[in-house]
Amino acid sequence: MIIRGVVFLLCFALALACSQHDTKTRQYLARGEALYLAHCSNCHQQDGSGLGLVYPPVNTSDYIDKNFESVICLMRNGVKGTMTVNGQLYNQPMPGMPQLTELELAQVATFLYNKWGRKRGIVETAEARQALSRCDSLTANAH
Amino acid sequence: MYYSMLALMVVAGCAPKRAPMPVFGERRVVGSDIVYHTIAPFQFVDQDSTPVTNATVAGKVYVADFFFTSCRTICPVMKTQMLRVYHATEGMDDVLLLSHTIDPEYDTVALLRDFAARLGVESKRWRFVTGAKDSIYKIAQTSYFATAMEDQSEPDGFIHSGLFLLLDRQQRIRGKYDGTREEEVNKLIADIKYLRAQPHDY
Repeated sequence: MIIRGVVFLLCFALALACSQHDTKTRQYLARGEALYLAHCSNCHQQDGSGLGLVYPPVNTSDYIDKNFESVICLMRNGVKGTMTVNGQLYNQPMPGMPQLTELELAQVATFLYNKWGRKRGIVETAEARQALSRCDSLTANAH
Repeated sequence: MYYSMLALMVVAGCAPKRAPMPVFGERRVVGSDIVYHTIAPFQFVDQDSTPVTNATVAGKVYVADFFFTSCRTICPVMKTQMLRVYHATEGMDDVLLLSHTIDPEYDTVALLRDFAARLGVESKRWRFVTGAKDSIYKIAQTSYFATAMEDQSEPDGFIHSGLFLLLDRQQRIRGKYDGTREEEVNKLIADIKYLRAQPHDY
């Protein structure tokens, strides 16, 4: 009985925590979604499903799940060559978006990493900056 | 009951007949005949290195567009929409899709072949063609009335329209659609079905 009560309380607390993104997170999510629609959804589609084997999906994607920093780097710098996503080989160059600021990259990343079942929470500008400072070493190890 | 029957009859009776599809472009009168604008002679090669000419499309209803594989602006949306047309015309052997690259230097036959394979489409129903750049631009501008030209001030180095053009069996333009808008492409799909049901000389 006590265990059941504790489980109930835990679920309740969790639900409360999840439903109450703070204002900043909500702003990042909204702005990130707008940026996604403006800069990414042309190829990756509004629902993140990609297009055939030309543009990889971003909704269900082991690449995105496993390569947080690389994803931020490739948004800024673009990426060329082959990439394996969900076991499928893609080879369409993606142009970078150098015009996006660190804040904007953090906002897109916040959207991407809290959408389609992901629950990373807010991506702070400092995290985006940190990732960008490591792009050279990441590209060397990529794929 | 009586009124609802009446209403039904009125609705059915007054349902507007489909307006005849237009024929775009100039027309000339020769003797007692009207000669319509058709697509000028062309010769390109597709993703299988097979020549594609006016003979390839003769007697078919086809959809033409202009794009390039490295384009990040409107082309991905156009290809998403053209893929819908491809799936909607499954099993229709008299329908062909013809996508011209406007960047033939980069979009080689091998690259177009890879692109088509990655879209998962068959070359007999969707041909991606390349050829001499001047010929592609000329046919775009003078035969299909579509914009296609190089412009280094554009992000991708080209300006071009997102038009899908519907052509009848005699290579006359019967419809123009914004290939980036889903509802326009729905209309195109309906028009393809209508056009192929019409007599050859419609």
